[in-house]
Amino acid sequence: MGHKPTLFSPVTLSGGLPVLDRLPLVLLCITLISVLPNHAQTGVIARLPRTTRADAVARAHKLANHAWVCGASNVHASCSSRYVSDWKPGQRVTGIPYRWGGIDTPEEFDRKLANGLAAGAHSRYGVLSCAAGMDCSGFVSLCWGLSPSAHAYSTSNLRQIAGKPKYNWFSDMKPGDVLNNAGSHVVMFTGYNPDGTINVCEASGSKARVACSRTTWSRFKGYIPLQYKGIDD
Amino acid sequence: MIRSSGIILLFLLCGLLASGAPGGRPETAPNLCTIPLTRAVRIPVSMLAAQDTAKSSSAAPTNLMISLGAEDELPEGPDGFDVLEGGGLLITDPLQSRVVSFASDGKFLKAWNLGFAADSLTVIANGMVLVREASTGQLHAFDREGQARPAEEATLPVRAEARVQPGKNRGEVVRTAANGTHASPLEIQFDKPGLALVSLESLAIDKKGDTYVALETTAGGGSPDAINLNKYVRRYSSDGKLLCEIADIPLDYYVAPVDELRVRNGLIYQLQTTKSEVRVNVWDTNQLCSRPSH
Repeated sequence: MGHKPTLFSPVTLSGGLPVLDRLPLVLLCITLISVLPNHAQTGVIARLPRTTRADAVARAHKLANHAWVCGASNVHASCSSRYVSDWKPGQRVTGIPYRWGGIDTPEEFDRKLANGLAAGAHSRYGVLSCAAGMDCSGFVSLCWGLSPSAHAYSTSNLRQIAGKPKYNWFSDMKPGDVLNNAGSHVVMFTGYNPDGTINVCEASGSKARVACSRTTWSRFKGYIPLQYKGIDD
Repeated sequence: MIRSSGIILLFLLCGLLASGAPGGRPETAPNLCTIPLTRAVRIPVSMLAAQDTAKSSSAAPTNLMISLGAEDELPEGPDGFDVLEGGGLLITDPLQSRVVSFASDGKFLKAWNLGFAADSLTVIANGMVLVREASTGQLHAFDREGQARPAEEATLPVRAEARVQPGKNRGEVVRTAANGTHASPLEIQFDKPGLALVSLESLAIDKKGDTYVALETTAGGGSPDAINLNKYVRRYSSDGKLLCEIADIPLDYYVAPVDELRVRNGLIYQLQTTKSEVRVNVWDTNQLCSRPSH
């Protein structure tokens, strides 16, 4: 009849050495794994551009305050017959338009607008190469100073470059952090109000542009705060 | 016998001292009640299919419209509303560029075609409705039949300022007296074990001077994986007594509301756009919120 193993029983692994005999080796391996850097992860972090919180928020406001005028050609999308614009010809707008899959800087947006591309587009029309603007993750990427040449990060993989902070989310977030709902939406936090509500900036499909607003917390149920790994505190 | 009578007397004395102790929380009312959901108005929605535009959709004109959204684009749909004096509902329908008017039971009455997507609306005192254009933030004025009116003299009502003292589960709402001066602030204390007050929002002050306040708190339950919270609405009397509380406000939104809560004649209304319907949840604070005895 066998006995129930205890913590210090000489349990063996398939005829090998007793586990207790291997314990120093196991501990050494665990220590090495935890101490040695994860090269893939650190490689990504090492390549991340550094930015300050002030710069991230300043970029957010620049994108939200970018003024433009919708031209007659900017209400049509040459690559989509179903496209319906959010704008009217001659309309003066503040804020870069929402374009699903887009990550255009203000300069690139102005250039595309001048070339007659459509101002903004929603996901229901697909990713339109003939439109200009940015989506929510493109917005956050630009605010953090990431390269606009590739839309490398979406809400689903933002965790690769931003970690979940351990602080009290309701009182200790810092401007430049984001609230992310993987697969859905992300906004940039810019500050608390005396009543406990928060200020955020976002590329919003429903507002059709980048905009900043005061909001209560209830719309962020299920979101996760994230802190950019390239932030200089 | 004498000893047991003494213990009973001691308990009674302690109880009396506790109830009348100076420095007690001013808003605590002995007859605080929690108001259950009184009714829910359900309005059907149509889903905007990926290949459709709002104009090409075959949705019933009485239905409100929502879009599915996608990765990195939130679903869109009704996110603004307000309540008319008689209980009728006005709800934004941004995907169809209109405001839709419903009776208090949810029956479709009429639609106002706006020509723009609206994300917020406010019924104001002079018989006008201010509708906010989602893509510009500009306010447009209409009468209650949906006829456009000059917006120059129309302004949004200013909500009373609120403040939270972080970490203390306390806050205050700065009320304004009838003569326009600041009256004494309404002190808010939130005491529920394991929960912390996060935000305060003054919703309305009614003709009796009662103040309606929305509170957001942590949801408790240890370290959550994601943001989780509770929302309460409380009604306070003009002298600062807490009359009643609504504690079962659902926060599972498919389309997050811009206008989340409205107060009209003691009724609390919540706009909740789900994937299958637009619900307007109603709590009647008039029936159960009896005034504290003096």
